[in-house]
Amino acid sequence: MTTIAPTTPGIEGLDQQSGRLSFVGILRSEWIKLRSLRSTVWSYLSVVVIMLGLALMLSLTIANEGFNAPDAPGGSAADQAGLFVQSSTFGVFLAQLVVAVLGVLVITGEYSTGMARSTFTAVPKRLPALAAKATVLFVVTYLVSLAAGIGAYFVSAAVFAGHDVSASLTDPDVLMPILGASLYLSLLAVFALGVGTMVRSSAGGIGIVLALILVVPTILQLVPAEWAQDIYPYLLSTAGTNMFAPTEVTGTEVLTAWQDLLVVLGWVGASVAGAATLLVKRDA
Amino acid sequence: MCPGRGIRNFDVMITAEGLTKRFGAKTAVDDISFTVPPGQVTGFLGPNGAGKSTTMRMIVGLDRPSGGSVTVNGEPYARHRAPLREVGALLDAKAVHTGRTAENHLLAMAATHGISRQRVREVIELTGLESVARKRVGGFSLGMGQRLGIAAAMLGDPATLILDEPVNGLDPEGVLWVRRFVRHLAAEGRTVFLSSHLMSEMALTADHLIVLGKGRIITDAPMADVIAGGTRSRVHVRSPHASQLADLLAGPDISVMRSEAGVLEVTGLEASGIGDLAAQHSLTIHELTPKNASLEEAYMALTADAVEYRTEALR
Repeated sequence: MTTIAPTTPGIEGLDQQSGRLSFVGILRSEWIKLRSLRSTVWSYLSVVVIMLGLALMLSLTIANEGFNAPDAPGGSAADQAGLFVQSSTFGVFLAQLVVAVLGVLVITGEYSTGMARSTFTAVPKRLPALAAKATVLFVVTYLVSLAAGIGAYFVSAAVFAGHDVSASLTDPDVLMPILGASLYLSLLAVFALGVGTMVRSSAGGIGIVLALILVVPTILQLVPAEWAQDIYPYLLSTAGTNMFAPTEVTGTEVLTAWQDLLVVLGWVGASVAGAATLLVKRDA
Repeated sequence: MCPGRGIRNFDVMITAEGLTKRFGAKTAVDDISFTVPPGQVTGFLGPNGAGKSTTMRMIVGLDRPSGGSVTVNGEPYARHRAPLREVGALLDAKAVHTGRTAENHLLAMAATHGISRQRVREVIELTGLESVARKRVGGFSLGMGQRLGIAAAMLGDPATLILDEPVNGLDPEGVLWVRRFVRHLAAEGRTVFLSSHLMSEMALTADHLIVLGKGRIITDAPMADVIAGGTRSRVHVRSPHASQLADLLAGPDISVMRSEAGVLEVTGLEASGIGDLAAQHSLTIHELTPKNASLEEAYMALTADAVEYRTEALR
């Protein structure tokens, strides 16, 4: 009997200490999950390409048009820094769509494939898994966006160099907006993760998040009523882009950058709280 | 507990008490109580929709009970400090992201419990997945998906295994492999809870049976008792004097059915008794064959009233 029975090797690779469920372990698990999917890698690559590509496009446009105009920029240091910020963060308007979709898919991909059952069997309390997912997604998105933003700065610097426009990366007027743009993208990803957790459907989650970023602001701008204008600054994408974009770009500047950050955190908090509540309440 | 290789104390039970699950107005699992003891394979049998999968999902906390409780080793699954080391579960072939490789799936599962890369390699070898470990799961056959599910269940070297339809989609070799594997795990002293709709396979694999119908336990007994007690043995009798014999046999505990001309199916009397009776009355008998009840017959008899989705024609 024993000769044909398969062997079940013991637990040599385990000891009592290491074989326990821990939050650090769950973080490592979520990191393995994030990097072992092609869709994630492609999403992050496209964020980098978008940020660099649009920085190149905008800086070339500014260089070609701006410096011929009578009121040409390139005057004060603040103006020059402003140009760098515009160019280095321009890609965020497109990259936010990629990051939002990625945030939804990180969880809905698990529901559509059945992976969620494996995840919540390994982490039956569920909330640590959500927290780990959010943490890993936030950190990785932040680092990728920051690298892309700094890369976009250098692309802009290369273009501007021939036009006597310069600003140091360490200039707070340049660095803070780049940091803010990365923060917006990573918070948006976590917001999308919360929405995805609530709806558990890729199509539904992506639809809701993109509608909120693209459709709702446009509609509100078309509504002539005053309330529409009052609400507008508190939208996720308005507050988010106002965190880093100079006033000229978005047109409205009702809130300070720190207030904008609070508004974005409010959206993220609501989304994650809703996700956590439903995750614990519902059957997996 | 003794760590490391060698004999571990697997003295672990699954205990359900008054376990109930309602989905809206429908009661999927209706106040069931049972225990699954260590050292044997406990089969979980029942028609589709009987509540088997829901029960198994409640054991590992994926579904919340509407009432009652279920514990593993005395604690609800979610309260254990190392759930994957307590229970290995195969609830669904392919509870795996299709875009990820088998190896990365196992590494991600293992990481939650700090289980080593070496152990991941061990379970890949154990389930014969070496050649496909670096391939994405989307391209896996159902059989390979089942092997991966079993590999994941074995990651924590758990004392309890819960396997929902583990032979689904496996080729005959795979079916044999699972049967030996499961028997081996039970022989090591582990608690094995196994569902299958393949009754013949269940008869070969399980020591004990829990039969579920419409969310309730119909039978909870050793396999041998279920087979023997579910239906009484019957005797197949072929005789040119079938009608005379049928009249002679008629009695309170004996049932006689005429299946075709000259053939009787007798339950409640041994073949020897029928032969003696025929001899006393000088009736010729051409065939006298005792038919042992199979698990399949026992199962059909048990669940006859509890089949959820039966076609009208059979009613």
